[in-house]
Amino acid sequence: MIRAALPAAALFVGLAGCAASPPLADGMPPELPRALELRDTPFFPQEDYQCGPAALATVLGTSGVHVQPDALAPQVFLPKRRGSLQAELIGATRRQGRLAYLLPGSGQALLAELAEGRPVLLLQNLGVRQIPFWHYAVLVGYDAERNVAVLRSGRRERQEMRWQSFARSWDRAGRWALTVLPPAVIPREAEARNYLEAVAGIEAAGDRRAAALSYDAAIARWPDEPFAWLGRGNVAYADGNRAAAADAYTRAAILAPRDAATRNNLAQVLADSGCIEEARRQLELALALAAGTALSATVETTRAQIEAAGRSAVEQCSLADRHWPD
Amino acid sequence: MHIERFRRCCVALLSVSLISLGMQAPAAAGVVGTAEAITAAQQRADLTVVRDALSRAAVRDQMIALGVDPADVDGRIAALTPAELSKLAGDIQQAPAGGDSALAILGIVFLVLLVLELTGTIDIFKKT
Repeated sequence: MIRAALPAAALFVGLAGCAASPPLADGMPPELPRALELRDTPFFPQEDYQCGPAALATVLGTSGVHVQPDALAPQVFLPKRRGSLQAELIGATRRQGRLAYLLPGSGQALLAELAEGRPVLLLQNLGVRQIPFWHYAVLVGYDAERNVAVLRSGRRERQEMRWQSFARSWDRAGRWALTVLPPAVIPREAEARNYLEAVAGIEAAGDRRAAALSYDAAIARWPDEPFAWLGRGNVAYADGNRAAAADAYTRAAILAPRDAATRNNLAQVLADSGCIEEARRQLELALALAAGTALSATVETTRAQIEAAGRSAVEQCSLADRHWPD
Repeated sequence: MHIERFRRCCVALLSVSLISLGMQAPAAAGVVGTAEAITAAQQRADLTVVRDALSRAAVRDQMIALGVDPADVDGRIAALTPAELSKLAGDIQQAPAGGDSALAILGIVFLVLLVLELTGTIDIFKKT
């Protein structure tokens, strides 16, 4: 009777093995250690369906935030889906004052992150593409000689997986990998835009202190990155510091003269500061740049506000003696 | 008569929800948030950001329908960017929800094999 099951088994193996994964030792950068394990990483055995909160508590713990999975569950768990969504793990990370940084989808990026002492939260598909079983685990180590990945996973404090099996389960889940960063800590190989998206996320979540520290770190590392300046300006604006906001927006506009959001925000802070004439000029630029984009409605709203401010303007421009970007 | 009452009820509900939408809008009107600016600059075709307030409302309704305690919903939504909310509004029912434990899956595979064995479809558990 086993003969009847063989084609089915072969099909299963075939589906699972679509993506060819090389052993760990192949193409491993020479600067990385051959084996590494972050043994101090905490462990929280998961309860039913709660691998999201458990995995998140694990990586948060390493970043200095000590929180139990039970406290995270109300922030991430979706009862009727019996699991947690990636977006909500990201949101909950921000709520703990930490940046949720998404790594590029390469095995090397995972290893580099471990080498910097940070475990990586990953999504795995332990089923097949057609019948997925989604599972979060935390990669805490690897061994190139023995060709294994070491994970905190489910109820297992230390799970060794053959590297190819691990890599395939990760590949079937879209190679999603999250690392949790304290404010102003930038991974050695970080891409500016990836990092700034992480900072913009914590800014959107309302943690202005963490955002400000991280934008400052981004500016120090990538002084020519316009969104680092735009972000710094936005936090200064939210803090009520108009002069600092105007200066940061100006730097952003010099670096990215065709960015509609930057011009819009500069126009806004100019209008708030009583500099109506220059505000109008920047807004005209913003309107032209935003035409036909997702920002056009927002820029129109700013225009209406500036016109209203212009009619009742009595105060002097408090940002005189500055050169505004063309 | 009934229709009229129903209509009034709808209008009242809609007004309340619209008013509450207005109140949740971020206070800093005028400036574009950095996350939104990055999305706009990338002009991602897959991220046509629906009006912020609309996706917030859609995500809120769906979260409650999926069993989230209404007291927890606002905090969860406030932690997400407009682009994330917009995406979530469209795929909260299908997006991967990590939750299975490896042990549970092994258990399921074992059960399937056991059923197949007992029904005589396969014969992998040697009894001799």
